[in-house]
Amino acid sequence: MTLHDVVLQQIINGLSLGAMYSLLALGFTMVYGIIELINFAHFNIFMVGSFIAMFALQFLGLHGQSRLLTGWPLVGALSLGFASTMLASGLLGVAIERIALRPMRNVRGTAAMITTIGVSYILFNIILLTMGAGAQNYPNPLPQVSWHIGGAVLRLREVLLWSVSLILMGVLHIFVQRTKMGKAMRATAQDQEAARMMGIEVDQIVMLTFFIGSALAGAAGLIFGLYYNNTSFLIGYTAGLRAFTAAVLGGIGNIVGAMMGGLIIGLIEALGGQVLQVRWTDVIIFSILIGVLALRPTGLLGLSTPKKS
Amino acid sequence: MRLGKTLIPRQARWVALSLGLILTLVGLSAVPGTRAAQKVLYVGITLPLTGADAEDAELIKDGAVLAIEEANAKGGVAGYKIDTIILDSGTATAGQYDPAQAATNTKKLVANIGVVANIGPQMSGEGKAMSAILSEADMATITPSSTNPDITDPKFKDKYRPQGKAVYFRTVTTDAYQGPNMANYFAENLKVRTVYVLDDSGAYGVGIANSFQKRAEEKGVKVLGRDQLNPKEADYTTILTKIKGLNPDALYYGGVEQAGTKLAKQAYDVIPKMIKGGGDGVYSSSLLKGAGFPAVEGWYSTIASPHLNESAELQGWVNRFAKRFGKQPGDYSITAYDAALVVLDAVKRAAAAGKVDRHTVRNAIQNSKVKTLQGTVSFDENGDIKDRTVSVFQILHNPKFPEDDIIHQYKYIGVAPQN
Repeated sequence: MTLHDVVLQQIINGLSLGAMYSLLALGFTMVYGIIELINFAHFNIFMVGSFIAMFALQFLGLHGQSRLLTGWPLVGALSLGFASTMLASGLLGVAIERIALRPMRNVRGTAAMITTIGVSYILFNIILLTMGAGAQNYPNPLPQVSWHIGGAVLRLREVLLWSVSLILMGVLHIFVQRTKMGKAMRATAQDQEAARMMGIEVDQIVMLTFFIGSALAGAAGLIFGLYYNNTSFLIGYTAGLRAFTAAVLGGIGNIVGAMMGGLIIGLIEALGGQVLQVRWTDVIIFSILIGVLALRPTGLLGLSTPKKS
Repeated sequence: MRLGKTLIPRQARWVALSLGLILTLVGLSAVPGTRAAQKVLYVGITLPLTGADAEDAELIKDGAVLAIEEANAKGGVAGYKIDTIILDSGTATAGQYDPAQAATNTKKLVANIGVVANIGPQMSGEGKAMSAILSEADMATITPSSTNPDITDPKFKDKYRPQGKAVYFRTVTTDAYQGPNMANYFAENLKVRTVYVLDDSGAYGVGIANSFQKRAEEKGVKVLGRDQLNPKEADYTTILTKIKGLNPDALYYGGVEQAGTKLAKQAYDVIPKMIKGGGDGVYSSSLLKGAGFPAVEGWYSTIASPHLNESAELQGWVNRFAKRFGKQPGDYSITAYDAALVVLDAVKRAAAAGKVDRHTVRNAIQNSKVKTLQGTVSFDENGDIKDRTVSVFQILHNPKFPEDDIIHQYKYIGVAPQN
C-alpha cells in the first residue's frame, strides 16, 4: 500500500464511522430541537438496538459466521432486521419518554437530564447482567464482496452502511421538510406554546420525535453490529459521546448540522489516527470541537433554530 | 423514673439506644470471628468475577477453591478449617477488573483479623493497587496470573512494598520473561524481521508490550511503530489500516480480552495474513467466544507458566476439577491451585512453629519449598517464582471441541527461548 492508498482507505473508514455517528447524532439533535433536552439515554438505546437486531437475525437462523446470504434472501433478512430493530428501539424511546421524562417536562433545571443519565445506566446494567460482559459474536450474513481501488479496499458492508444511512437521512429530511407532521415538528421546535395554540398535539409530536430518534439509533446499532461483527454492553459509551459531539459541532437542534458533524468527526478520527497516533484521537476530536465552538458558539450550522423566549 | 426523664434529654436517650443497638449488632457479628480465632482461618480470594474477565477469573477461583475444599475434606490444616472470603474486583463502570475495587476489597480483608493470606489478583492493574495495602498489613497474597514485573521489582519498593518485606508472591513468572521470550520466539522461530506493537493502556498491557519491544529491538527486529488502544473504543480499523500501510511481518498486542476481542475481529478483515500474537491476555476463552473462528485462527499467545494440563500425571487432577465444577480447567486454574497449596503449606508450617497469624504465614510463604502441580514452588526475596518457563500456544481450530474450549483450541507449541 502506498501512502496514497492508505489515505484513501482511511477516508473510507472515516466515512463509515461518520455515517454511524450521523445516524446517532440525529437522535440527540432532534430531541434537543423539540424540548431542549440532552437525552443521554440515547447512548444506550443505540446499544440495546444492536442487541435487539442481533436477536432478530439469530431468530432468522443466522448465528455468527455460520451462513452467508446473497440476493433476495439477504435483502429480505436485512429489511426484516432493520424493520424490527427500528420498531422496537423506537418503542423503547417512546416508553422512556412517556414513563420517565414526560412527568418532568415542565420542571426547571437539570432533573430531566439527570433522569436520562439514570435511564442510560439502567439499560446498560440490564444488558450487562443478562447478556454478560464479554463481546458477542455478531451474525454476519454479508458475503465477502469487495472492490479494489488502487491498494484500498471497499467492502460490501461499507457500501451497505453508506447507502442505508443515506436513505434513512434522506427520508428523514423529506419527512421533516415536506410532510404535515414534519411541519408540526418544526413548528413545535420553534415555539411550543404557539404550536399548541395552532392545534398541534405537542405531546404526540414529542413522542414522534423520540420514536424517530430512537429508531435511527436502533438502525445505527444494527449497522454497527454488521460492520464490526461484534457488540457488547459497552459500545454506547464512545460512539454515543462522539455522536453527541457531532451534534454539538453541527449545531445542536439542526438536522443537517448533525449529519455533517458526524461525517466530520468520523473523518477526523480516521485521518487523525493515521497522521498522529490513535491514542490521541479524543484529544484531537475535542480540541477541534472546542476550537469550532470558540469561533462559532452555536456550532457550524447552529443559527437556523430561532432563539426561544 | 421522673428523675431519669428530666436528667437524660430525649435526644440523648435515642443516641444511647441506637448506640446500644449498634454495639449489640457488632458484638453479634463478631461472635463467629472470635470463634474463628480458635478453629477457623480465613483466606481471601480477590478476582474480577464480573465483567469482561469473569470467565477466566472463575477458572482461577475454582482452582483455588478446589485445593482448599480438598484440604478441609481431609480434616483441615493443622487442626484449622480454612474458610474462603471471595470478593469481586470487577465493576460495571469499568466493565472489567477495577483497580479501585481491588483496593477496597484488600482493605476489607486486612480489616478482618482472621484472614491470614489472600489468593489473587488476576490482573496486574489490580495488583498495583493492592500491594502497598498488603505491605502495611504485612499480609501475603499469591497471584496465579498477574505478570507485571514492576510490582515485585525492588526498584519500586517504596511504591509497592513500603514496609520492605515481600508480600506479592507469584506462582507464574513475570512479563520480564513473558514479553522478551515471545520476542525471542518471534525473531528466532517465526523469523520476524519487522513488527508493530500495540497495547491496551492497562498496567499489564503496557508493561508486557514494553518488554517485548525492548527485546525485539535487541534481537534486531525493527519496530515500525507503537500505539495504544482505548479498550472502550469500538473501532480499530484506523490503526489497523495504518499498520497495513506499514506492512510489518508481525503484530504484537500486549493487553487483555476487552480490546483484544475487537482487535482480533477487525484484524481478520484488514490484515488477515499477518503474524499476530500476544501474551497471556489473549489466552482466553472469552476471546474465542467473542471474536470467534475464523477471526482468531492463527493468533499466537503465551502463558507465564509451564504448560501442564494435558500431561499424563495431571489427568487425575483435571478429572477431579471437571467433576467438581462441570468444566475444563485452564492453565491458570493450575497455578491458582498451586497458590492455594502454598498458602495451606505455609499455615501448616506456621502452626508447627507455634503461632498462626498473617505475619507468620507470610514468613512461611517466603520460605516455601512446596511440591505442587507445576513442580516445586519456591520464591526469591522479591516474591517472584524461581521457575521462569514461558509456554507458547497458537489458536488452531479443532472442530471436535466447542469453539470456546480454551484447552483444545489453543495448540501448545513449546517453551519460548530464554535468550
